[in-house]
Amino acid sequence: MKNIEISAAQRTPKVSLDVSRRIFEIEGESYPEDTKKFYEIPIAQVLEFLALKHQDEVICKFKFKYFNSSSAKVLMDLFTAIEDSANKGNQVKVEWYFIFDDDNMKELGEEFSEELSYAKFELIEYS
Amino acid sequence: MNQFNFQNEESVLIYFQEIATSEKIVRKEEFEELLTQYSKLFKNFSRMIRISDKNEHRLQTISHELSIEKKKMEVVAEQLSRYLPKQIYRSIFAGDYALELKTRRKLLTVFFSDIKGFTEISASLQPEALTYYVNKYCSELSDIAMRHGATIDKFIGDSMMIFFGDPESKGEMEDALACVRMAVEMQLRLSELNAEWMTEGLQYPFLTRIGINTGWCNVGNFGSTTRMSYTIIGGEVNLAARIESLCEPSGVLISSETYGLVKDFVVADEKDLVTLKGIKNPVRTYSVRRLLDDGEIDTPPITLHIPGYDQVLINTHQLSLPDRLDLITSLRSVLSLLEGHKND
Repeated sequence: MKNIEISAAQRTPKVSLDVSRRIFEIEGESYPEDTKKFYEIPIAQVLEFLALKHQDEVICKFKFKYFNSSSAKVLMDLFTAIEDSANKGNQVKVEWYFIFDDDNMKELGEEFSEELSYAKFELIEYS
Repeated sequence: MNQFNFQNEESVLIYFQEIATSEKIVRKEEFEELLTQYSKLFKNFSRMIRISDKNEHRLQTISHELSIEKKKMEVVAEQLSRYLPKQIYRSIFAGDYALELKTRRKLLTVFFSDIKGFTEISASLQPEALTYYVNKYCSELSDIAMRHGATIDKFIGDSMMIFFGDPESKGEMEDALACVRMAVEMQLRLSELNAEWMTEGLQYPFLTRIGINTGWCNVGNFGSTTRMSYTIIGGEVNLAARIESLCEPSGVLISSETYGLVKDFVVADEKDLVTLKGIKNPVRTYSVRRLLDDGEIDTPPITLHIPGYDQVLINTHQLSLPDRLDLITSLRSVLSLLEGHKND
């Protein structure tokens, strides 16, 4: 499986998957003009990656400043896949980053964490 | 934040979850899968609404904060605008003005003015009164300058430095003419103001000298990277200042270069060649008597017939601008007196 390395743009986040280190990362703002077109290929690959059997922990990092509703739907599908992966025996950890005074992003993280019971979840504040 | 009411959807879910437990149900596994998917869809839908509401709330908060900041910025910008030439201020706030130490050569018409005997005027007035009159004087002249499209460079005590041709230019002739027209309007307005102020008790009128020159100058930002000033420098700027010092009070004295550009639109008297400090060659100047109106031809002299007096003949074309302003002031005083007697 290939790594993913998509740079951030004005309306789209940085998306990366380091297969050997088992780290998936998404960072920035997400309000693409065409959400399906932007996420379709990388997310399909990440879902495929999560469906594999992993000996060591998989880490999924989310570091958003803003995302719109259609991006939220993509995140829900991702969280479902993360939980399924953990449910099947993988060790999966979600790291949800938020800027120290961004209560909204913190609450959104908490909202998404409700989807998880097998996967680990950690809220991480940064400045 | 408001919680969306999902009572109907929840009751549907509960109802069918109860049915799913029934032994009688056919195709039980498919029914349970449908219920699971419905449950998931319902959960995601309610989550989406919560996220959407949070985002909207956040955007409203940001929008509110931005409108407050915008108002603050507008107040600051308005205050800042009074310290900068209007055109430069507009360019900076439009984002098309590069704040760098850079100059260029441009053909400009440069204006200098100062008040005759300002030292005596200052000594004769209380500081508050002096502030009042100087501010009024500067405000009136600035308003006239702005109406004519001038760039007000700076106030130096009682002096004003103004130029035409940058950052906006209508062409060298139009710029020079706008400057001369502005200068004449300033003198006319000052004659009115002086008349008013003298009745208020001002001892010495604000008689102003004006000098104008047209030539190639360096214009742009001078100074340091941390503190710069948009201004003009060059020999032609110095010449304008020297010409101003030669001007008779209440007059408008222009260089031969400026006169060459505006001669079809003004009546002016040629002056003798003079040698000016710091200027290499003797300089020819012209004293502006008045502006020519569009399509104007010579008008006949004004003749006043006053019973018991000799006939008074006023040949307006031969009056210098200061003499004309003096005459206007005198005639206004006579008119005021006559109107006073009429009411007696």
